[in-house]
Amino acid sequence: MSQLRVFNTSIFLFVIFLIQETIVSRINFPINGFSLYIAALMVVLSLEDRTGSMVFGFIGGVIMDLSIAADTPFGQWALVMTVMGYLFSINKESIGDFTETPVVFVGFISIASGLSLIFFAIVGTLLGEEMGGIFRNLRLIFVNSLWTFLIIPLFLPFIVKMRRIMLTSREK
Amino acid sequence: MAKGGGNRSRLLLVLLLVSSLFLITLDLRGVNLASGIRGTVASVFSPVEKLFSNLFSPIGNFAGDLRNLGQSNEKIDDLTKEIDQLKSKEILDEDTIGQLSQLRNVLDLAARGNYKVVAAKVINRGSSATFKETITIDIGSSSGISKNMTVISDGGLVGVVKSVSSSSSTVLLMSDPTFKIGVRIAGTQSIGVLSGQGGNTYLLQLLDATGEIKVGDKLVARGSEGGRPFVPGVPVGSVIEVQSNASSITQNADVEASANLNRIGIVAVVVSPPKSDPRDSLIPKPNPTVTVYVTPTPTPSPSN
Repeated sequence: MSQLRVFNTSIFLFVIFLIQETIVSRINFPINGFSLYIAALMVVLSLEDRTGSMVFGFIGGVIMDLSIAADTPFGQWALVMTVMGYLFSINKESIGDFTETPVVFVGFISIASGLSLIFFAIVGTLLGEEMGGIFRNLRLIFVNSLWTFLIIPLFLPFIVKMRRIMLTSREK
Repeated sequence: MAKGGGNRSRLLLVLLLVSSLFLITLDLRGVNLASGIRGTVASVFSPVEKLFSNLFSPIGNFAGDLRNLGQSNEKIDDLTKEIDQLKSKEILDEDTIGQLSQLRNVLDLAARGNYKVVAAKVINRGSSATFKETITIDIGSSSGISKNMTVISDGGLVGVVKSVSSSSSTVLLMSDPTFKIGVRIAGTQSIGVLSGQGGNTYLLQLLDATGEIKVGDKLVARGSEGGRPFVPGVPVGSVIEVQSNASSITQNADVEASANLNRIGIVAVVVSPPKSDPRDSLIPKPNPTVTVYVTPTPTPSPSN
């Protein structure tokens, strides 16, 4: 994995984060919102190799920690996304090449988004934060996953194409 | 070879996890690293947010608009006729009128309570990925805003300022499950604690065991020491249902907020509390009912 790709992917993730914070979070989705950034990060993590999943999980998490609205310790998302990257890296072979079936891929991304939020809530609880009621949080996570399942197919081709552009000729 | 690669991955994982835990530890120990970085990001983002706020304000309610999609076709014909009429008239932007109305009402509320306020525009809603109910407003420390200031709208309490950058601030909404405020029932003066529930309803727990709650009771903020985080007298909500639980020591009730948090565009941050508690004077008075008395007069008969 080249340094140039790490740089390019980080910039790409930051641009998605900017879109999430300035546009997507303005939309009043019923019940709960949809996080384009988490979904895009899950797509990137799922397409990377073992090292890439963990490195981009960490970088993606640090970018999420920059959120103005975040009232959580800096580094919490980095921890959660590093763990997510690790889970992606060790389970990739056992799941198989799910990227060839778009519906399965979208389902996988939705479940992974929900799982990352569950990890975030668990880590937050362990760190002594007030996370709200468990049923409320489960409902928010479920609805977030549902929105991800419905909306991410619109963005998936773009994210995959952008990631392909960022690969160096040797990596292609 | 594979074993070497596995070890390298494990080493990388440990390194990244330790880095994450190091960042968390720094933040929890009060090192200003996080707030500094977030403040910088907020300063960079707020002009972009303001720009997108102006450009994309109509898309915020697209979900609500989708529900009316079925009626759209029927309305198209009517609307087409109306467009011709509207072109001939000078009309102000409805969005601007709405915002002006909200601004007028919130300034009116602040004037009645003797609060010194700074008006602000809502430029963003909190990220859905943080489990927090927040909004971002377009004023910050350069406008005299600091942490733990009360934020009000035309209806009443909205929340409290949680973090501030030079040109924007994040407000924790009263609907957040971690939000708690001391309230007083207008009239009876019984005191209690109101908690956010993450939705449109709130839980009131009365502290006085002998106190009574009735449906329709109005709640106002009790106020904090030095007016922070809460200034006294701000309308908070009204009781919509009293919970009857015989085993409970205190009385609980469901409350509806005075301010509609789903439709706030303009808010005001209270930068200076009033010199005296406005008590119940900010609670909206019901409109007086007009009673018309009619006295029948004898109608002249045709024979006369």
